[in-house]
Order: sequence, then C-alpha cells, then structure tokens
Amino acid sequence: MTPFEVMDCALLTRMSGLPPAFNLRELRERIAVCGENVLFHHFCETTLRGTFDNPDYRNDFAVWSKLYLGDRVLAERLGILDPYAYPSLGELRAATLEVIDERLGELTMIPWARAGDEFFFMEATTVVFDTGIRISHSRELAASIGAMTAGSVYFHFLEARRRPPIGKDDFTAWLIENHDGGKNGPYIEALSRIDFYFHSLPDLRKELATRLSGLEAAK
Amino acid sequence: MTTPLAAYEGIVGATVLRQLHNFGKKLSGVRVVHVNSTREGGGVAEILEWMTPLMVELGVKASWEVIHGNPRFFEITKAIHNGLQGYNVGISSKDWKIYEDTNEENLARLRPLLEEADLVFIHDPQPAHLLRLCDRRKGKWIWRAHIDISRPFRPVWKSLRPIVERYDASIFSMGEFAQPLPHPQFIVPPSIDPLSGKNRDLSPAEIEAVRSEFGLDPSRPLLVQISRFDRFKDPVGVVEAYRMVRKVSPVQLVLAGGGATDDPEGKAVLEDVMEAAGNDPDIHVLLLPPDSHTTVNALQRLATIILQKSTREGFGLTVTEGMWKGKPVIGGDVGGIRLQVVNHHTGFLVNTPEGAAHRIRYLLHHQDSIDRMGATAREFVRENFLLTRHLREYLTLMLVTLRDIKANVVNV
Repeated sequence: MTPFEVMDCALLTRMSGLPPAFNLRELRERIAVCGENVLFHHFCETTLRGTFDNPDYRNDFAVWSKLYLGDRVLAERLGILDPYAYPSLGELRAATLEVIDERLGELTMIPWARAGDEFFFMEATTVVFDTGIRISHSRELAASIGAMTAGSVYFHFLEARRRPPIGKDDFTAWLIENHDGGKNGPYIEALSRIDFYFHSLPDLRKELATRLSGLEAAK
Repeated sequence: MTTPLAAYEGIVGATVLRQLHNFGKKLSGVRVVHVNSTREGGGVAEILEWMTPLMVELGVKASWEVIHGNPRFFEITKAIHNGLQGYNVGISSKDWKIYEDTNEENLARLRPLLEEADLVFIHDPQPAHLLRLCDRRKGKWIWRAHIDISRPFRPVWKSLRPIVERYDASIFSMGEFAQPLPHPQFIVPPSIDPLSGKNRDLSPAEIEAVRSEFGLDPSRPLLVQISRFDRFKDPVGVVEAYRMVRKVSPVQLVLAGGGATDDPEGKAVLEDVMEAAGNDPDIHVLLLPPDSHTTVNALQRLATIILQKSTREGFGLTVTEGMWKGKPVIGGDVGGIRLQVVNHHTGFLVNTPEGAAHRIRYLLHHQDSIDRMGATAREFVRENFLLTRHLREYLTLMLVTLRDIKANVVNV
C-alpha cells in the first residue's frame, strides 16, 4: 500500500474586511457578495476555532440568528444546511440566500441586533504541514486517528472534501486507491456512515477511531 | 521561572506538543522581538513571560524588550489606553509630544535589535510609535491590541490610527474588539497557563488552608466572584443575587479582587460593596494583593459555582480560570464571556441579579448539572484556551506574515 501521509493544520482567523451586519437584510447583502473563503469559514471552519462547539447549530449564521436576531425559525432553517451536501460553495451560498429571502418574505419587520451584537465576517488561512507520520496499512488507521490532533482530523476528514476528489475524505480516498483486493470495503463503508457535520472535532476523532477499531475487533 | 514545553504534555497530550515542534522547525532561527511597556504586572507581561522562552525552546530567536518612561509618560499612555476603550479623556498635543519623544528615547536603545528583527510584535499603544521612527527596519511589524477598541473615544483613535495603520498587520482578541484598518487583522484569543500559580493543581492542604484562613464553612455551598472592584464587574449586583438565594439556601459568597488601593473609582466601588454586604458574616469581601495567585486558585477550587456577572467585559480570563477548575460559570451576557459560557453546557449567561439568582438556585438543586457542566467547561478550556493553542496561533501568524501568504490553504 502507498503509505498515508499524515498532515496537520492550523487555522489563522482574520477579519474579512466586510462591514459587520446589524440586521437580517445586511446579513443577506454581505453573504451575497462575500468571498467563498468567508462562507467556508462560517459554515465549516467553526469546528477548528476557539469557541464553544455550539450544541444547537454548527454554522455561525444560524447561531447568530438565534442568539442575536432572536429568530428561531430562521435559525432552524439555516442550522440544517449541511455545507458538505452541496457540490460547490456557490450552491451553498444560493441555498443560504434562498432561506434568508424566504424568511424576509414572511416577516413584517426586519430583525436586527443590538450594537455590539453585530455579525462579524471572518475568514481564515489554513496552514498545512507534514507531520512525518505515515500509516502503512488500513488496520493501523483506527489507532493513528485516535492519536491525531484536531487539526489532522479536520484536514483529512473535513477540509479534504474541498479538494479533488471533491466530496471525499482523505482516508476514504486512500482506502479506495489502495483497494487491497476489496479488503478495505468495510472501512470505506464505516467511514461513509458517519454523520460528521454535527460532531465537534474531539467527538469526530473518537467516533472515527471507535468505528474503525470496531471493525478490527470484529475480525 | 520558565516552564519547559514538555511539562505541558500531561495536560494537552503529546500530539499538541509535536505540532508545536513542527511549527518550530519551520521558524528556526527567525528573529522575533516583542515590545511592551512593563516587565511585571498585568496580562500582557504574564503572556510574554511564558511565550518568549517557549518560542526560544522551539528554535525561534525571540526576545522581549520593555520601553522605559517617566511617570508622566505612563499617565499619558494610561489615558490613551482608557480613551481607546471609550472613556472621554483629555490628551493635549503636548502630551502626544511626550509620547512620541519617549518612544524616540527608547528607539535609541532598541534600534539595532528592532532594525534587524524579522518580526516585531508591538503590544498595545505605549510603544506603537516606534514603528514610525524605525525607518531602517527590515522585518514585518505587527501591532497587538490586547484591549477592546471597538468603540474608542474618537479624538484618541484619530491620533493613534495614523500610527497603527502603518503596521503590516494587527492582532485582536475577538473580532468584536477590532477597528477597520488597511492591513490584515488577525484574531487570536488569549489563554491561561495551566501550570501558573493561579491555575496549577493544589494539594488538599493548600486548599484547606485558604478555607480556614477566611473562615469558610465546608458544609455549605460557596459562590465566588474573582475580579477587580470595578462597576462593570457588578459586585453589588452579585450581592443582590446572593441575598435572593440566601432566603432559601444557606449559601456563602466570596467577592475577591484587587485594584482598589491606587484607584479612586475602585475605592468607591469597594465602599459600595461593603455597604451592600453590611454585617452579613456569610459575605466575604476580600481585597487581595496582586500576587495572591494561590489564594485565588484555592478560592476558585473551593467554589460550588463561579460568578462573573459583568455588565461589560474584555475576554474574561477569570471565567476561563474558573472553568479550568471544573466549575460551572454564571456570567454576564457580554464580551468574551459569551464565547465561553453556553447555557446548560458550561454555565449560564445572565443579564440581571434576578437572572443570576435564578440560575444559582437551579444549579444548587441539580448537583449532577454542576458536575457535568464543570467537566464540560474544563475540557472546553483544554481544547481552546490553554497557552499551547495561543502559541500555535502566534507561530502560524509568524509563518503567514513572513512568507506573505495570501492563499486560503497553504502547505509549508
């Protein structure tokens, strides 16, 4: 098998340069024009950022709608958007705007946030580096993932879906590439069954390691 | 005393340290200078005290320099500091001249180091003017604002903005604290050192010594708020909340902090708190000296619930410290407290003494919630607010700035 190269990454967050949004209409206007990196940050990079993994919603727009606009209907509709289910960030943006437009059409007053509670648009640079660690067989995957940093888990299981092959995590891509006469099938199947978007990174690491080690134990 | 990185392995794990060493290899030999205005006292000095030696341990040629000035200079920079945080202060053109001249005097001493550095971190406004004066600088200069400048007193910001906008980048603790500037503005939240006097594990004997020193009853719940005697920390509101709870539950309250001796406003607040406390033997108002780290540590560990009922707050590191001790926190719904306290998970956010009393009563009836939230809070801090994360973000920032990285994802 070609060894799996374990990478690690760190996130450096910065202000996007967009003015903050004080109300839902401003949020809509900024989402319509923001860079894809901004959209990706608020939907996907939230897991790698130093804030509490909000147990209700995974993306920042839903959290803001609930906490600061006080609009739980909008929060629920935004909160269920799974960015990894869309083939591109452009389509994710369109879906997000559709949800907001629908809500704006239902409301008689535009919900607004108090001063200090604005939505701040951020983006981030992901710095990736080689850890020097290699995984040479699928049976080592569970233990290796269990010992990875949150950055490695994020890079290989979540961020990977942005890179070719689009929509696939690095572990699955490696297992397919090194099919090993079909012996990797159960691993690929186990990885595909994880509903990962609503996990925090420590929980995701645990689930990945548990599912894969369960296969080893069953042998 | 310098703590080696290896000492943190038992707390954060080997993988986190390996990640830092990997970063260190990429930055080996890079010359970094941190400049601030005091060697001891205050949060910035506390950060630089651990960050500089840890950077050196990772292979970075890091040093920490402190600017000097006469008392008048520091009065002016204190006024600038307050002005940036929104207070109406008077700073004359003569004062700004003293500010600039003092920076110039310091540059004479620091020039060789600053000119040769690959990266210079200037902390807060006191030494910010050095950049304008250091015209033969070779490296990148970054301004680190440790305070909330989102709503500054405009005349002060108008004078300081032309100085800081010349920097190559700036750093803020939260997006909410920033001002629009024509360069990259990075977000790096602060952190706590789990091995410092305020946070290290204490022996049962050390904790019991503090309990008996202040006459706290081990059989009754204890509410603790650690903070300066400052109106924005709402200590009188905490006493009000305590009184509402006291009617139904035999709780004790500790309000402990410093900052009243040299601060006229602090003295007035302390007097108000004493008056509110009256002669209730279960309210302990403790004016502690600045080096009471073990006492603060023990009080947080003795607490049943930590309070931080601020009406205005920066990041709120006392919340982080309380959470690290495995306690739920009832905090004001402001500033960085919101990043840390999540209702029903790590504590409760409140807006009024009534809200605080309600949540205290709820928790006192649900010991299982206290235990669960405390455990969640500690793990949350472990993942996000220990110095290893803080150091990693500085190292990342150094790489991104030195290599002038513009891409969203970059392999190094």
